[in-house]
Amino acid sequence: MANITYIESNGQSTTINLNDGWSLMQGATANGIDGIVGECGGSCACATCHCYVDEARLGDLPAPSAGELDMLENVASERKPNSRLACQIKATAALEGLIIRLPETQE
Amino acid sequence: MLSFDPYSPAIDADPFPYYKQLRDEAPCFWSPEAQMWILSRYSDIVSAGQDWQTYSSASGNLMTELPGRAGATLGSSDPPKHDRLRGLIQHAFMKRNLLALEEPIRAVAQEVFGQLRGAKQFDFKDVSSQFTVKVLMAALGLPMGDEALVPEHEVRENAVLMVQSDARTRAKGPEHIAAYNWMQDYASKVIAIRRAEPRNDLISNFALAEIDGDRLDDREVLLTTTTLIMAGVESLGGFMMMFAYNLASFDEARRAVVANPELLPDAIEESLRFNTSAQRFRRRLMKDVELHGQTMKQGDFVCLAYGSGNRDERQYPNPDVYDITRKPRGHLGFGGGVHACLGTAIARLAVKIAFDEFHKVVPDYKRVADQLPWMPSSTFRSPLVLQLAVQ
Repeated sequence: MANITYIESNGQSTTINLNDGWSLMQGATANGIDGIVGECGGSCACATCHCYVDEARLGDLPAPSAGELDMLENVASERKPNSRLACQIKATAALEGLIIRLPETQE
Repeated sequence: MLSFDPYSPAIDADPFPYYKQLRDEAPCFWSPEAQMWILSRYSDIVSAGQDWQTYSSASGNLMTELPGRAGATLGSSDPPKHDRLRGLIQHAFMKRNLLALEEPIRAVAQEVFGQLRGAKQFDFKDVSSQFTVKVLMAALGLPMGDEALVPEHEVRENAVLMVQSDARTRAKGPEHIAAYNWMQDYASKVIAIRRAEPRNDLISNFALAEIDGDRLDDREVLLTTTTLIMAGVESLGGFMMMFAYNLASFDEARRAVVANPELLPDAIEESLRFNTSAQRFRRRLMKDVELHGQTMKQGDFVCLAYGSGNRDERQYPNPDVYDITRKPRGHLGFGGGVHACLGTAIARLAVKIAFDEFHKVVPDYKRVADQLPWMPSSTFRSPLVLQLAVQ
């Protein structure tokens, strides 16, 4: 389990205790966080679960796959060095306390 | 005593009371009839869907797998092979790349549903099947019109037959295997034509694709193409039947979406949750797993009952109510994880356009029969016939 904090573009902050192995996208859609859409269901095919990961914690995450890097080219809001797709980040104990910020728009 | 036989006609007709009993009393249940474990709670299904290393698809993902298919298609392979196949195909199915299909799909919808002008009663299958085959042929680049290799209705009939199973033998019958062979034969002819004279379409690109200098092997190309046609035609057609069934059954929802077609996307999402046609898929365990006091052994098959997870009261309040204002985020109507449906965007687009045009011709309708003939399938659920009376 890991506590993950989602901060939406309007500043609203929600912390969710995620089961190990759940993606940060699944955690958001199953818990009513609107700033993540996840239209494709988690197959890295739509770029609507874009998030900005707390820069100090980037090193705790496995590096993005080639498929994720390709799909990040399609995000609707500004792509930054700490841009990731939430469907490709799975909760583990190493991510305890992680904060991700959500962009203004996903589509 | 608790039982769950996914081959039973009673489950085809109404699986939901059985699902509820499983969720409440035996959330990790061994079905002797299916010879697999059944996971029925939302949270367990999401966890399993995310964990492809443990819950493998490489031994097949259909509840009753087609011979020789496992390992050669997107749905029946694991990463990294899965990602390699998917990388070749998914570009064509991304929302932004479907914009060019919007007008052709609307033209098909107007032509097909226009036939209903003046009708008093009709079988919705007759129109939904015409629509789905034409849309899929356009999306995949299958030969159409003067170039068509086979009549469109044969594509549809075989797609629907190949996903069925026999309730008595709990296996594919000869008619289902024949339909599967028919579809492979059709796919192989399309592939040969497109390889000889490539066009800018999905099948041409896929048939000629090289990854790191290697061509895909012929079995992968053939069975993936066969599956795209099957999944496209059967799943889109089956879902349209379920959506029409819901709108014909729930007067308030139908009147709301007819009065305001902008509500169609919300109604589509709720239908995907409430009773989507893709009810159950399977995985195979790569290691022992303990869950709810049971030990599932490495090598065992496991059913992910998406249709049950979507009715889990632990996730969705009042799950048995069809409520188009619900906005059921995170539903399992398209599965989830790496194997989430490839066609989510085109399905949402095509169904919205279809019902927008259908309702312009037939704004009010109701079901003729209380009891419907349900498709015998351990994986999918939809009625074979849906007679509607125009009101």
